[in-house]
Amino acid sequence: MAGAGRDERARVRAAQAGSVADLEELFRAHWGRAYRAAYLVVHDSAAAEDVAQEAFLAAVRNLDRFDAARPFGPWLHRIVVNRAIDWSRARSLRREVGAGDAIDEAAAPESGAPAAPLSGDIVAALASLSPDHRAVIVLRYVLEYSPGEIARMLELPRGTVNSRLRRGLDALQGVVEVEEPE
Amino acid sequence: MTARDVRSALLAAPVPDELDARRRTWAVVKAAYAEREPVRRPRRLRLLVALAVLAALVAAALSPPGRAVGDWIRDRVAGKEETEPALFRLPAAGQLLVVSESGPWLVRPDGSKRLLGAYDDASFSPSARFVVATRGRRVVALEPDGDPRWSVTKPLPVADARWAPSPGFRVAYRAGETLRIVAGDGTGDRLLAEDVAAVEPAWQPLEGSTVLAYADDVGRVHVVDVDGDELWSADPGGAPAKLVWSPDGGILLVVTDGVRHPLYRQGGRRAGALRTPAAHAVLDAEFAPGSRHVAYSAYDADGGKGLVVLGDERLQRVEGRINDLAFSPDGRWLLAGWPEADQFLFLRLPGVGRIVAVDDVRREFDPGGPGLGEFPQISGWCCASPD
Repeated sequence: MAGAGRDERARVRAAQAGSVADLEELFRAHWGRAYRAAYLVVHDSAAAEDVAQEAFLAAVRNLDRFDAARPFGPWLHRIVVNRAIDWSRARSLRREVGAGDAIDEAAAPESGAPAAPLSGDIVAALASLSPDHRAVIVLRYVLEYSPGEIARMLELPRGTVNSRLRRGLDALQGVVEVEEPE
Repeated sequence: MTARDVRSALLAAPVPDELDARRRTWAVVKAAYAEREPVRRPRRLRLLVALAVLAALVAAALSPPGRAVGDWIRDRVAGKEETEPALFRLPAAGQLLVVSESGPWLVRPDGSKRLLGAYDDASFSPSARFVVATRGRRVVALEPDGDPRWSVTKPLPVADARWAPSPGFRVAYRAGETLRIVAGDGTGDRLLAEDVAAVEPAWQPLEGSTVLAYADDVGRVHVVDVDGDELWSADPGGAPAKLVWSPDGGILLVVTDGVRHPLYRQGGRRAGALRTPAAHAVLDAEFAPGSRHVAYSAYDADGGKGLVVLGDERLQRVEGRINDLAFSPDGRWLLAGWPEADQFLFLRLPGVGRIVAVDDVRREFDPGGPGLGEFPQISGWCCASPD
C-alpha cells in the first residue's frame, strides 16, 4: 500500500507538471469507484456521470494547488459524495417535473451483465434510504473509510455517522443479516 | 451475512453505462486539463526576496509615517482583491451577480466569488464589463474587482440603477420618486421623469437603444426615448411590479399584481397577456434568451407552494417561494433562488433534465457570519465572455 501511495503521489506531481499520461492513470485508478459511489447514492446513471465528471473537473481545476503529499482518493471521494447528496436532495424535492425517463430503475442489471441476486436486493434496499444514509453506507462499504474518516469528510459528528450507519444497516437487515459495523 | 458480504454485494452490483460514461468523462477531463493554466510556483529565491521585502515593510510600518503605508498595504492585501474559494461551479459560461446583505458578489464560472463592496443593489453593464451599484444616496460604477470607476451622489435615496444596452452610454436610476439618467462615464446627470413607482426601469435590449420603460406612481407604464419624447404609455390594468423586454426588443411584458400581465408591441399595441395561476403572486419573470417564451416564478401564499413555469410547461413546484430567476447566457440553464431551502437551483433545460442544487447559500454569501440574514438576490447571469 505504501508503494501504491508513493506511485500516486508521483503521478499527482507529474500531472501537476503537465503529464497527461499520469493524469490518465489517476483517472483510470479512481473512475470506477467514484462512478460507483455516485451511482449508489443517486441511483441515476446520467446524474452519476455528471457528479463524477464534476469531481474530476474540480480535481483538474485545483490540481496545481493540491498538496501531492496528501492522498488523492479521499479528496476526490469527498467531492463525489457531497455532490451526490446535493443532487439526491434536490431530486427528492421535485414534484411535477417530467424527467422520469432519465431515471434508471434502481440497480436494474444491463442486458448481458448478470449480477449476484443479492446485489440487486441490497441496492434496492439502499435506494429506500435517505441520501445522507446512502452516502454513509457507500463511504463505509464501497470506499472503505472508517467512521472517523467519514465524519471528517462529511463534516458530521462521529456519533451521527455511527447512528446513520446503524440505521442504514438496520434497513438492509430485511434483505440480509449484517454484523454491527464496529 | 457479514459486513464484508454487504461490501461484496455493493461492489458486485451492476452500475449502468460505466464504460461509456468513463469514455465521455475522460474526453471532457482531458480537454479541461489541456486548457488549464498551471500556477507558477514561487522559486526559493523569489520567496527569499518576498520575505526580505515583507520584513522591510514591517519595519517601516512600526514608524509613525509607516502606518499610513501599512494601512494602504492592508487594504490591498486584505480587501476586495481577495477572491473567495470556489463554492460551486456554474454549469454554463458567464458570470453571476448575486446581492447579499454583505453586498454584491461577482461569481465566476469556476465558482470563485468576489465581494464588490458594501452596496444594496447592483446590476451588470453590457457585456458585464462593469457593475452599477447603489447604496443610500450614491450610484457607483464598479470595475469587476470592485474598484469604483465613478460615482454620483444625490440628495434623495437612490435605487434600481440599470445600464443601457451596448455601447452603454447611459445609466438610468431612481432617486426618491424621480427617474434620472447619467452618462456611462458618470457625467451629465439629469432628471428624466417625476412621480415614478418603485419599479426598476427597463431598457429596450437593442444595440444602441435609448428607449426605456418605467412605471409611474398611478400604475401607468411609459416608454420613452431618453433623448427625445415619450413614445407611448398604457394602463396595464394592475399595479406594475416588473417590466421585462423580450430579447429582440419587440415585446414589453408588464408583470402586475394580478393574474393577467399584458404584453405590448411597438407603439403600445396590445399583444395579448401572460396569464398566471389564480391565487398566485408572480415574484419574478424573464424571457428566455433568444426567444419570446417567458419563465416566471409564482407563489401561492395560502398553500405555501411556489411554482416555476417556462412557456406552457411547469418546471418545478416547491415548498415555499422561488424569489428570483436568471437564465444562463446560452439559455440552457435556469437559475432559481429558493429561500426556504436556502438553495440555488440550476435547472437544466429543456424540461429540467437535471438539477444542480447549491446548499447553504446564505452562509456562502455571508463570510464569517452566521448566514441568518435575507436570502441573497440573483441580479443577473451575464455574458459568455466579457468584451
